[in-house]
Amino acid sequence: MILLDLALSFGVLSLIAFGGMPSVMPEMQRLAVDVKGWTTHAQFIQLFAIAQAAPGPNVLVVSLIGWRAAGLPGAVVALLAVCAPAAVLSWWIADLWERFKDSPWRRAIQRAIAPLVVGLTLAGGYVLCTPATPDWRLWAIAAGAAAAAFARRLHPLWLLAAGGAAGAFLLR
Amino acid sequence: MQVAPPRTLTELFTGFLAIGARSFGGVLPWAYRTMVEERRWLTQADFAETIGLCQFLPGPNIGNASIVLGKRWFGVSGAVVAFLGLMALPFVFVMALGMLYLEWAPNPAVRAVVTGVGAAGAGLFIGTALKLGKALVRKPAALVLVAGCFLAVGVGRWSLLIVMPLAMVLGIFCARRDWL
Repeated sequence: MILLDLALSFGVLSLIAFGGMPSVMPEMQRLAVDVKGWTTHAQFIQLFAIAQAAPGPNVLVVSLIGWRAAGLPGAVVALLAVCAPAAVLSWWIADLWERFKDSPWRRAIQRAIAPLVVGLTLAGGYVLCTPATPDWRLWAIAAGAAAAAFARRLHPLWLLAAGGAAGAFLLR
Repeated sequence: MQVAPPRTLTELFTGFLAIGARSFGGVLPWAYRTMVEERRWLTQADFAETIGLCQFLPGPNIGNASIVLGKRWFGVSGAVVAFLGLMALPFVFVMALGMLYLEWAPNPAVRAVVTGVGAAGAGLFIGTALKLGKALVRKPAALVLVAGCFLAVGVGRWSLLIVMPLAMVLGIFCARRDWL
């Protein structure tokens, strides 16, 4: 039952996605490629590319994974599964948020999340461009984009377009 | 600045529709522009506070924001309507692009371009992480956590289901001792 599998797998991800979707990108890749075989590694980076280039929340990459696994119903189920548990949690926490404004635990959790997000986002970038047989060309494109994003304020779409152009030359 | 919440569910829906449809390369700036500058539903401070809450919660940040704001203004129906408004058009766009891509995927040139875009997207992740990481360089405990997460999940390929709870406990421990 692939739909149930999608719902459970992404539903769990929803609750550990501290810092948002980039934090769980490596786990999503591990799940879709290594554990479940819903996509190949090469397809995964391409689905990720499509979701990055399209407008909207970057969480929508899960719809593309769900779609490859189980068609259109898979796309809907994956998206709802990755959003719903967190949404229910948000619903409950929203009211408590004000009350715990000065709680030291709130500060502690906020501070704890920051380094995790940095480490996991780095891992996400690394995993995406490291297929089973490492490819220096993917690393070169990623390094260029990372350096440009780090050094100056550019609109992300310019960097994605530049990556596409570089891909046309390097990856054929 | 005068602010007033949306008066009807339709207004809420079209507002979130406008956010989703236009948000190329990141939703947050468009959420700000739509809700604070154009429609004046929220003050700047209120917006920042809501986003702060959603960055604290797990899950897709802006998806959570649609739930929190929808609930604040219209209860359950508001949360559902805001969420659907936010996701509806981006879902259609991404699926249409995906289907178009599948059509063209046999062409090696198309695959090369799309893979290049993906590699650049991975680079954007790394660039963003480095920017966020600048604030942590003077904190050895934070650097250990960054390295630990990267090595365990990125290189070691451990499951996040194990790493995340462990890292959270360690992180909160360090934060309580003022190491972060």
